[in-house]
Amino acid sequence: MSQRSDVYRTSLLGLLSPAIVLSIWETAGLLGWVNPILLPRPSQIVWTLVELVANGAVFPPLLYTVALFVVGYVIASILGVTIGVAMATSETLYGVLEPLVEILRPIPKSALVPVLFLFLGIGKATMITVVALAAVFPVLISTFQGVRGLDPVLLDTARTFQTSRMRTIVSIVLPASLPMILAGMRVALGLGLVLVILAEMLAGEDGVGFRILDLQRAFQIRDMFAWIFVLVALGGGLMMLFDLVERRLVPWRGKT
Amino acid sequence: MSVAGTLEGTSRKRTAGSNRRRLGKRVYGVVLIAAILLFWEVSSRLGWIVSAYWPPVSQIFQAAIVQLAGGDILVSLAATLRRAAIGFAVGSTLGVALGILLGRSKVLRIALLPLIEIVRPIPTPAVIPPLIMFLGVDDALKIFAISLATFFPVFTNTFAGVATVDDTLIQTARTFRTSWARTLLRVILPATLPAIAAGLRTATSLTLVVAVVSEMIAGSSGIGYYLVEMQYALRPDLMYAAVMYLAITGYTINRLFLVLEARLIPWMGKT
Amino acid sequence: MRKVFLIGFAVMGLFVLAIQRATASDLEKVRVSIIPINDVAPLFVAMQNGYFRELGLEIDTTPSAGGAAGIPGLIGGSFDVVYGNVVSVLLASQQGLDVKVIAPGTKVDQRETDTTPILVRSDSGIKSGKDLEGKSISVNTRNNVIWLYARAWIKATGGDPDKVTFKEIPFPQVEDALRQQRVDASFLVAPFSVISRQKPGLTAIANPYSDIQPGVDVGQYITTGKLLSTKPETIKKFAAGLRKGAEWFNANRTSDAILAVISGYTKTDASILKSVALGAAPLRSDLTQVKKTMDLMIENKLLTGPIDLAKIIDPMAL
Repeated sequence: MSQRSDVYRTSLLGLLSPAIVLSIWETAGLLGWVNPILLPRPSQIVWTLVELVANGAVFPPLLYTVALFVVGYVIASILGVTIGVAMATSETLYGVLEPLVEILRPIPKSALVPVLFLFLGIGKATMITVVALAAVFPVLISTFQGVRGLDPVLLDTARTFQTSRMRTIVSIVLPASLPMILAGMRVALGLGLVLVILAEMLAGEDGVGFRILDLQRAFQIRDMFAWIFVLVALGGGLMMLFDLVERRLVPWRGKT
Repeated sequence: MSVAGTLEGTSRKRTAGSNRRRLGKRVYGVVLIAAILLFWEVSSRLGWIVSAYWPPVSQIFQAAIVQLAGGDILVSLAATLRRAAIGFAVGSTLGVALGILLGRSKVLRIALLPLIEIVRPIPTPAVIPPLIMFLGVDDALKIFAISLATFFPVFTNTFAGVATVDDTLIQTARTFRTSWARTLLRVILPATLPAIAAGLRTATSLTLVVAVVSEMIAGSSGIGYYLVEMQYALRPDLMYAAVMYLAITGYTINRLFLVLEARLIPWMGKT
Repeated sequence: MRKVFLIGFAVMGLFVLAIQRATASDLEKVRVSIIPINDVAPLFVAMQNGYFRELGLEIDTTPSAGGAAGIPGLIGGSFDVVYGNVVSVLLASQQGLDVKVIAPGTKVDQRETDTTPILVRSDSGIKSGKDLEGKSISVNTRNNVIWLYARAWIKATGGDPDKVTFKEIPFPQVEDALRQQRVDASFLVAPFSVISRQKPGLTAIANPYSDIQPGVDVGQYITTGKLLSTKPETIKKFAAGLRKGAEWFNANRTSDAILAVISGYTKTDASILKSVALGAAPLRSDLTQVKKTMDLMIENKLLTGPIDLAKIIDPMAL
């Protein structure tokens, strides 16, 4: 990751290219090269965005989406890690769960959105289930691989010291497979976000995804772009937060 | 980082005996699935769950089989796969190319990386509504969305992979005055391949998800639209059947990928 | 490895392309976005009876469930003509998008064939907009034609629309939502409105279109002003073919032949469709009706002010 940081060290230079793109976009709008209704100028969009933040209108949908996402994501992470560890450490559980996981995993979770609407109805339960379903498999698989990939010596040592199974899992297995678990959670983060936005678009009651499609249908393009900016910030913020937590938890990651 | 990998490929060695035991245990899993399906069938037949959208599972299998003899599902699936394939090809080619270029050139890194980092966190569904107005609802839009989704994992992995290429290798190549293209093909690419493959694998699972997503939002054809269409046409059996076919497709693609990977990059995972 | 992949995918792609290749012809192609509902039957009748072919047109329809992708797709250049609802057209026009109505699509002018009721649970005791205050009603999308007339009906029957919660529920899910008490009332369209009443427990308490504005022009065929000026002949031919289809439809709308046509593009079982009454297809748009809708939109703050309807509705639709 050192390459990335040398860009940020020269942060002024790093801002250069986005600045250039934005100015070209702005100029194109000012000179009428693009249809101003379909593609508003960045300055107009930013202005709309500032208004959204200033009058507080941005917060309820944003919080709504964040809440749905976080609940689904946390459920997925807990389930994914638990099942992943269980399957990796118990042959019986592996046998019981493996066929089911193999059947459910390859379904593109977006295809399940209309199905879930049918039998969970429209509402928060469905949205959360969608996010959880999308996020659980990457976590599960990579937890499983992480635990299976552990050095057998480590586990044998624990056995020698007659450490209980629970204790072995909590104090040896989980910390050692943490990098893999986090790698899975990173993929799950992106997938979960895609799915929560999709679900909100297909049948939302509120939320950022709902707003974006709603504004497109009302042809309020400038506001729609402002909300897309909000979503960029949300996605970027969550990723940065994840990086931060990961660096905390696995300081040795990326230094190999 | 082989997150889209498998539940089997593990580094721990297993004896033939434990394998057999494991296969025996898997019987429980099959029984579990059978029990779930039976519960589904019974709950629908006996009316425990009353909803027009809860058809007996036998009816779904029947619909799925009938579709084999020529039905909309397979045609829709083909349309989706075609777009997914083109989008995947475009997105991954760009991802590998830019990953290597940015990995090797500081100027390009400074020029492009911040832009890529800004676009990266946008969840794909969000860009579809504005793009409809520029690209319409046809292939251009969907392929664009799929390429975009494919690009990022491939790019990120390639970029990180290039960073780990041993610099002495490149220096050596330079000492021998190896041409730039040759260095790329003979030194950088082989060393980066495992990372690229990991990125491609993450991308394959995303590709199908996003293909379906784009068809649902900007619907007109493809399996994603078919699902929504059947929802409106009150044909839940066909809807579930379509999901089944999608699952089979996803499974096959994942398997195919693993086989290709083992064939083409035998040194994968042995670092 | 990438190369192998690319070649593999390319081969796969070509294969699929080959399957899907359509037969070429000399006819001029018109791409039409439709919503797979009964209302676009005249278009399909005109196609099947060869009215467009006689005029040198080949119609290529693309369904859009709920119609969400219609006008945006028109702007994006995917379609030449879009079947859309009156509210969307006026909203698009207000935002400066260049949309033109070229033919009428749906008109609700007979109560007997109005299959778009507000449903409630029979035991709920809800009868008017007043009763709905503090309760919830579902529409498929907020700020659209359904939403607008639901609000108008609530107001007309003594309620305050702002005191009613509007929930967005797609039509196919409405019946379950009502029966499971997740919503108190629903404004529903056919065939869902008919199917959901086949089992007891749900009652229709109103038909907002007929109650509020008999004769309302709900749906239209729309194109862009640009297309109208660059290809006026093509658009005129389209409107003419469609009108012929509407006339045939009106003459035969109780026959089984129509059911087969509708079943073909909605993919809904003909047995279900049989129970849905078909209204007559309009032959002309009615400016005074559109104006009434516009006034309602202004009243409900969907529009900031009146729009010059003469600029939106092309004379060929009148």
